[in-house]
Amino acid sequence: MNSFYKIPSLLGGLLLATGFLGGCTTVSIDEYRRSAGELDAGDSVVILGRRHSSDYETEPSLISCVGNELDNGKSIRVISESQFVDALYPWFEPRTAPMHMKSLDRLLEIPGVQERLDNYGVKYIVWIDGNTETTDSAGSIGCSIGTAGAGCFGFGTWDKESDYEAAIWNFRDREVSGKISADAQGTSYMPAIVVPIPLIARVQTNACKGIAAQLEDFLMPAGAGT
Amino acid sequence: MFENLRKIRPLTFFGAVMTALALAGCTHSVRVDGTFPAPVGKTHPMTVGLYFSPDFRNFTYVDNSEDREDWNINTGKAQYNLFNTVLGSMFDSSVQLAQYPASVPGNVDIVIVPEVRELQFTMPRETRVNIFEVWIKYDMHAYNAQGESVADWVITAYGKTPTAFLKSEEDALAQAINIALRDAGATLYLGFNRVPELQAFLAAPRRAVSLRDEAPENEGEVQ
Repeated sequence: MNSFYKIPSLLGGLLLATGFLGGCTTVSIDEYRRSAGELDAGDSVVILGRRHSSDYETEPSLISCVGNELDNGKSIRVISESQFVDALYPWFEPRTAPMHMKSLDRLLEIPGVQERLDNYGVKYIVWIDGNTETTDSAGSIGCSIGTAGAGCFGFGTWDKESDYEAAIWNFRDREVSGKISADAQGTSYMPAIVVPIPLIARVQTNACKGIAAQLEDFLMPAGAGT
Repeated sequence: MFENLRKIRPLTFFGAVMTALALAGCTHSVRVDGTFPAPVGKTHPMTVGLYFSPDFRNFTYVDNSEDREDWNINTGKAQYNLFNTVLGSMFDSSVQLAQYPASVPGNVDIVIVPEVRELQFTMPRETRVNIFEVWIKYDMHAYNAQGESVADWVITAYGKTPTAFLKSEEDALAQAINIALRDAGATLYLGFNRVPELQAFLAAPRRAVSLRDEAPENEGEVQ
């Protein structure tokens, strides 16, 4: 009789544990720095996603994640992607976005473009290109419903891989200031003993945090603001 | 006989309701209501008349092919918003025409009439790529103030969006359509000056203005 009451508490404990546990993720960040970053008061940064490839798309969720991480109490003024792209429509659409610094020069000759960029105080444009994809999966989980109740049994696992590169354009000096690349891998697990218990590896989130931390270091080097 | 009918009718009604519910469950409905920004750039010194037919304003793409589930995709309002904003911002002033060619105000220099030619989409399970893709093709027609055809050209637009966790197929497709419509706006804006007939039409008033400006000087020279 006592063991009967232990099952719900065990399941509750397992579910609670999923809130704290997760699959493992490894992130590696590389940086190429051509010139030191510098942001004065009133300067802002725009984070944009590259969307020109036909077989993948840089996720808007990653772009907003990097923007939020940078903007979150770190004294870096970040303009949201949607706000910036709308203000300069149609010059930063997938079809029209400048791919090189030289194209940016041509863009500034269009009436109104330079003015809007100046109004935003844009100093750096960060282009992020890449995506996160599931590279492998294995296992199976079966669920059934009967008169005695419902439940799932089995085990599933899948690997995810993130590969991003951020190119930092200095808009004022018209040069590529540097590049940051982030690679992240992680394996998620989902054992199911009556209830599926997801142990999710937050691959994209960790890649986002890695890029944001490196960008912060790039744009505001330690001691620069003091 | 009537007793049998009484027995059958509730069953038939129930069956019809269940069938209708089952069919409704298989049909996906998407309504795209996006708003779009005005383009940044120079405007043409003309007044444009814009005519959006009822078919264009209420355009619904119905896909009931056998190899996929049924889809009803209404893009009328969003594409009306797009063309009204983009075309309206490309000229110094714009007038919306309730009817065409019945009533065109005297100050209108050019009338533009868009039509949807084609809409296509693919789902991730069809392409095995984790993106929803949409293609839209528009037939564009331009007429002068006298109602004569100035130019006919085609705009093709493409939009895609990645699959997202906990996002419905309808939401993902609506997002891809909004991106395709933004692309249509960009193509319309950038491609307008590249249509040879439109280039010639847009250059003509400028030539007329410059000739008008030159006329007094020439007269002075003769005297």
